[in-house]
Amino acid sequence: MSLKRSFAVVKKIFHDLKNDKRSLAFMFIAPIFAMVVFGLAFSGSVQNADLIVVNNDSLTGIPAAEMGPDEPIAEVIINRLEEDKTVRVKKLENAVKARNSVESGESYGAIVFEENFTRDVFKNVRGAGNGTTNLDFYLDQSNQEVAAAVTRTIQSALSSVMEEAGRKPPVQINRISVYAEEAKFIDFFVPGIIAFVVYLLATVLTLVTFVGERTSGTLDRLLATPLREGEVVTGYAVAFGVIGVIQAALLLVIAVLVFNITIVGNVFLAFGVTALLAIVCQSLGILLSSFARRESQAVQFIPFFVLPAFLLSGIFWPLEAVPSWLRPVSYLIPVSYVVKANRAVMLKGWGIGMIWPHILALSAFMTGFLAITTVMLKRRE
Amino acid sequence: MNDRAHKDDNYAVETTNLTKKFGDLRAVDELNLNIERGIIYGFLGPNGAGKTTTIKLLCGTLNPTSGGARVLGRDISDGVEELIGYMPQETALYLNLTIHQNVKLFGELFGLDNTTIVEREEKLLRLIDLQDWKDTLVEDLSGGMKHRASLACSLIHEPKVLFLDEPTVGVDPDLRASFWDYFLGLKNQGTTLLITTHYMDEARNCDTIGMLDRGDLIAEGAYSDHLEATGTDSLEEAFLKHTKGEKV
Repeated sequence: MSLKRSFAVVKKIFHDLKNDKRSLAFMFIAPIFAMVVFGLAFSGSVQNADLIVVNNDSLTGIPAAEMGPDEPIAEVIINRLEEDKTVRVKKLENAVKARNSVESGESYGAIVFEENFTRDVFKNVRGAGNGTTNLDFYLDQSNQEVAAAVTRTIQSALSSVMEEAGRKPPVQINRISVYAEEAKFIDFFVPGIIAFVVYLLATVLTLVTFVGERTSGTLDRLLATPLREGEVVTGYAVAFGVIGVIQAALLLVIAVLVFNITIVGNVFLAFGVTALLAIVCQSLGILLSSFARRESQAVQFIPFFVLPAFLLSGIFWPLEAVPSWLRPVSYLIPVSYVVKANRAVMLKGWGIGMIWPHILALSAFMTGFLAITTVMLKRRE
Repeated sequence: MNDRAHKDDNYAVETTNLTKKFGDLRAVDELNLNIERGIIYGFLGPNGAGKTTTIKLLCGTLNPTSGGARVLGRDISDGVEELIGYMPQETALYLNLTIHQNVKLFGELFGLDNTTIVEREEKLLRLIDLQDWKDTLVEDLSGGMKHRASLACSLIHEPKVLFLDEPTVGVDPDLRASFWDYFLGLKNQGTTLLITTHYMDEARNCDTIGMLDRGDLIAEGAYSDHLEATGTDSLEEAFLKHTKGEKV
């Protein structure tokens, strides 16, 4: 294994791109274009997100002799929520309707206050109850930002009510995950869009480049030099890893500048994860190239690797929302891990200590793909 | 099985029952070839005779189905890349790279340092009359120029054995003559050349001509030997006579 020879391949790829203005434009304009299109389609600020409230709470049933509030706690919380600009409160009369509304995508969340909610809370405060009071919160998981905003509002409303009693609110919020068919907030999509665009571009670019290497005879010529198969693959991996990071950065810049997305985590960690994906993709491109005799045939493969990733890797809705029998397929798509990892890093600020399972999975894909590609290039039939 | 070890080490290329099958097609069929060092060996035969496949097998870009071969005494399965130069039939250059970038790439792959590459490149490009086009993208060159640039890439590491697959196809007559001058020059420096060609008149420049048909060597010898043996006065007729003779 000679890194010098691999580096010669890296240089060749970059010279090639530099001198080929059309491919270069494709490399840089495509991510910008993709982000703008996705961005326009999904942009919308987290304001006035519809939140359903079902309020069955009342002061009835609280003996006058006991310590109690002037008004039902649910009422206080709802008032708070109504002041919060993030959500727009809508009242419905029962939990089933509320849940349906979230599932159909009409609203982003629903909280259901049971009958005797206030009484139970105060019972618990006095130590007479079973410890906690449950509050059901149906939440459209595809909108983490709304989810966070609503949770925050509920908690602050609870605490302020409880302050009078000088206790911690003994309320357990049951988050019940619901996945709406249609979601609208770009922050949630950006990590997925980055992963998807890099996946698409890296695979297509290597596929087309490598079919070119085969048809033009340059691959034969390379293999008739001391250059080893592993060195070819390494050279391509390094070059496309770098290109993947550049593209991810470009996507992110557009997302931040044009669509004002907020990133809480370490962007460089997300870039690193994306680079791993790009390396997997270049291997996939080389592998697929062996099944095509011409560029025109290679292009026909695109739907087969694009569609599953587009629909099953959690870009638009979490993997948990994919039908369970299809979920194993999702885990076979490397993009899935990048979407999860980047989303955790960019939206939740998770570090490497928390996303390592995804990195491990991607590394396994990378090692496997690089090995298969090298072996396949060695078969010279 | 190893009687190859004591075979004559003077051969630049020797194949032993070299066979390559593509499905049912025997592209190269138990070929036994012995090419002496320091000669120009011409491979003559119609399309599909197995010339290109043989060269690819010898360069290691294809693996044989059975049989084997040695280049300068080294088994091809051990890797002979450092010893050989290969000019494929296609242009086989990176179109988006300049001539210089292409030549440099192949120089680097053979482990040459920059000074050596620059020195040799200058010499080579002067010889094939491309020095003014050094920094032009290969894409923008004419067919003949691409061919010459391709030759330069095959020669940058000064190989001892050179496999040239149809090096003069699409090259105008003047340039063809200068190519052959150059090939003869290389031969005089001790390089062994295996050249495939369609042009019968070119084949006269070869020291030995091997006629290949359907993956098999049907006749071999110097130009005059072929004419004498078949009682004809052109290689073309000689070839036809050879193939007819085989059919009977």
